[in-house]
Amino acid sequence: MLVLRDLSLTEGGVPHLAAVSVEAEPGRMTTLLGRTGAGKTTLLRAVAGLVQPQSGQISLAGNDWSRLPPWRRPVAMVTQQFINYPHLSVLDNVAFPLIRRGEPREAAREAAAAMLGRVGLAQMTGRRPAALSGGQQQRVAIARALVKRAPVLLLDEPFVNLDYKLREGLREELAELLRSQSDTVVLYATTDPREALQMGDCTVLMAEGRVLQAGPPRAVFGAPATLEAARVVNDPPINLLAAEITQSGLVLDHLGPQSPGATGRALPPGRYTLGLRAEDIRSGGPLPARVALTEVSGSETVTHLMAGAQPLVMLERAVTDHRLGSELGLMLDLGKALVFGADGALILKGASHG
Amino acid sequence: MRTLYLALKYLAVTLWSGFVIFPFLWMLTTSFKTANGVTGGATWLPWLQYQPSLGGWQSLFGGAGGVNIVRPYLNSLVVTLSGSAIALILGTLAAYGLSRFSFRAGPIRNGDITFFFISQRIMPPIVLAIPFFLMLRWLGLLDSLPGLILIYVALLMPIAVWVMVDFFNTIPRGLDEMAWMDGCPPVTTFLRVILPNVMPGLVVAGMFCLIFGWNDFFFAFTLTFTKTQLLPVSIVALNSSVTPWWALSAAAIVSVAPLAVLAFVVERFLSRGGLAGAVR
Amino acid sequence: MYRQKYIFLLPGLLVLVAVILFPLIFTIRVSFSSWDVYNPGLNNAGGAMYARLWDDSRYWEALWRLSLLSLSTVLIQYVLGFALALLVWRDIAARRFLRVLFLVPMMTTPVVMSVIWRTIFHESLGPLNPILEALGIGAQPWLSQATHAFAAVMIVEIWQWTPFMFLLLLAGLLSLPSEPFLAARVDGAGPVRTFLSVTFPMMGAISVGAILIRAIEASKIMETVYVLTSGGPGTATETVSYYIYIRGMRDFQIGYAAALSLTYLVIMAVALTLIAKALIRLMVREARA
Repeated sequence: MLVLRDLSLTEGGVPHLAAVSVEAEPGRMTTLLGRTGAGKTTLLRAVAGLVQPQSGQISLAGNDWSRLPPWRRPVAMVTQQFINYPHLSVLDNVAFPLIRRGEPREAAREAAAAMLGRVGLAQMTGRRPAALSGGQQQRVAIARALVKRAPVLLLDEPFVNLDYKLREGLREELAELLRSQSDTVVLYATTDPREALQMGDCTVLMAEGRVLQAGPPRAVFGAPATLEAARVVNDPPINLLAAEITQSGLVLDHLGPQSPGATGRALPPGRYTLGLRAEDIRSGGPLPARVALTEVSGSETVTHLMAGAQPLVMLERAVTDHRLGSELGLMLDLGKALVFGADGALILKGASHG
Repeated sequence: MRTLYLALKYLAVTLWSGFVIFPFLWMLTTSFKTANGVTGGATWLPWLQYQPSLGGWQSLFGGAGGVNIVRPYLNSLVVTLSGSAIALILGTLAAYGLSRFSFRAGPIRNGDITFFFISQRIMPPIVLAIPFFLMLRWLGLLDSLPGLILIYVALLMPIAVWVMVDFFNTIPRGLDEMAWMDGCPPVTTFLRVILPNVMPGLVVAGMFCLIFGWNDFFFAFTLTFTKTQLLPVSIVALNSSVTPWWALSAAAIVSVAPLAVLAFVVERFLSRGGLAGAVR
Repeated sequence: MYRQKYIFLLPGLLVLVAVILFPLIFTIRVSFSSWDVYNPGLNNAGGAMYARLWDDSRYWEALWRLSLLSLSTVLIQYVLGFALALLVWRDIAARRFLRVLFLVPMMTTPVVMSVIWRTIFHESLGPLNPILEALGIGAQPWLSQATHAFAAVMIVEIWQWTPFMFLLLLAGLLSLPSEPFLAARVDGAGPVRTFLSVTFPMMGAISVGAILIRAIEASKIMETVYVLTSGGPGTATETVSYYIYIRGMRDFQIGYAAALSLTYLVIMAVALTLIAKALIRLMVREARA
């Protein structure tokens, strides 16, 4: 088990890591989910030894890594940028870590060729990396990381600079390859909640150098512990509705009084914030709203609307064409809303999703 | 209008080419003259205007009326090549260190150290000549090859640092880090991964070292006397004697020819855009 | 953690400190002594050498002469180097051959070429005067008259180092993006206007760099002078470096030469810094205009 305990790193007054603790099990993929600048990359670099946290401990299976330089740590990393050795052929790139480790040249080349075959580059072994496309270069980098069979594999948004199609393909290839290395600890950093939900066995939410929440993806997505966590795990962004519960019932600041019991359970009077996922808003209801922006991505449509002074985001699992400026009637499924207290902590999970 | 423009352009190119070639043609033709050919006034064409002879060329190898330059030539080769090689090695190592790691000593940071290296080029040679003289005398290395090599290393290293820091800065740090994670400690990373990717820089830096080393006269002149003579010093010594122009010209040609060839190398880099980075 | 980093920096740094910094600091000490042939070794002369230097008109004249010589040659080199770079930049026959040819002089050993130039300038046997006579200009007393000797030194410096200016400026021209030139052509700008409003402004930074490098090198001029004129006739072509050389290495007035050297170094460092600042300000104003 890879254990990171209380890692802290502050540079120029900016906390890149603030007492981060994570435990990652071998044979499972742990995804680090957070926006750009949340500290994911810094955390991976700390594990690799490329940055030195000011305090905290890193250990693998009980062995303390804190004082080991990067070249002594058994890690492999794939980064956003496709980094390969420009002066070596594709085959020698992948064989390089094995040869440096002292394996015989011929055996290393054979292992490299086999790994290149698995990532679909068997035909490219003689070329220089610069002669390959971006996706192929990244596959060389992945092959070089996997061929080492390092006990710790660090993946830092490995597919972010690739186009959509390639990303889907590589993601499957990677999952397939990982299944054959069941003793490996995998840390996978991503900004895309869906990727974390699909790929991970354990999700760690990060923001501003802190861990917000960690656990199985379903649990984290279903019940984000705080408002901040709810923002990180939802894409498109979650709708946040400021609300007050009075003697007479639920009143939304911008949308007015709602039917009593809309949130499913009685709450004591006070200030709350309702988190309503974009997919829990439907068109064909009583609430009038004006279309501000429509984005179609794949088979889904994301529509940004204004209901009076309240901005709303709606996700429909169909391709629909809402004209800009047109008026829609919305239905808010408040029964599924997450309810957060005034301090931002989750109070009520809302009805479960199907 | 357009033809006039073109005519002016080619006229300018021709005039400058003539200016550039003039001394070379003159020394070429003079090298085949004898005393009679020189004292008869300026002439250019062999056989028509003067009787050519190989006397000047023979004098280079100990013939009459000149100075044997074989020994100084070898001395120059040894000092320039070893001085450049050591300067290139030390300078490249220092440049890599400065481009990749952070150093601090009190208020001094990487930028200050880099400036300290490069600022040596601002130093007028005469300012250094006196301390060099006293230091080599103290070390017992005056008038010796090792003494000159030591001085050349110090003089040429800043050039190597200046060129190589820029080249290393164009190589992404991610490459070093990837090599570390593939099990290479910094020295191995430098040798196996970074060095093969800065070969053009090494060529440029090495070339500059060779040019400045081979062409130095001042330090060779002030720090050696009789035992260890370098080529430029022995040629200038010819100048002050009764001036056998033929021997002088022949010696000048063999001295200047090897580096003139480097102009082709520089031009190739220029056309490939390899120098743009080094210049900025 | 990266203790290995010192393996890279220290060897070079140690050589530099040992060979250049320590001797330089030692020179400061020497400049406060009256070390010469009669009193060899370190003694305490206080600021006597600096006081002597203050009244040494030959030194200040050499400094003024050096400024005139270096600034004028560098400016001429810049204009010529820029013109040559523009000429062989694009569409011209035998472009690559001409580039090589124009680069050759900077590869040659300056003193060796100066020796050859001395034969060229020879008043009765050299090839230059017959050509001038044929052109109707008449023979010139190249190395025996003050102004002529000064001009001869300038000609040799220009021949030797214009190629360096040419190299830097051509490298700059070749790295320019092509879009602004397309835009200028679309706007129907002729070669002169394209140069003034597109090429020249984009070459600002590189021009400043090239002029500075050359100004630094030119402030050291002495080898050419030593070979061509030995500072003469009289002291008409004596530069600072050459004068210090005479005092230090020929008269062996080590203490005095040390004081001269250090003063020279400080004056040059200040002057070159001021020139750099002025050029950069000029460039910024040009860029705004």
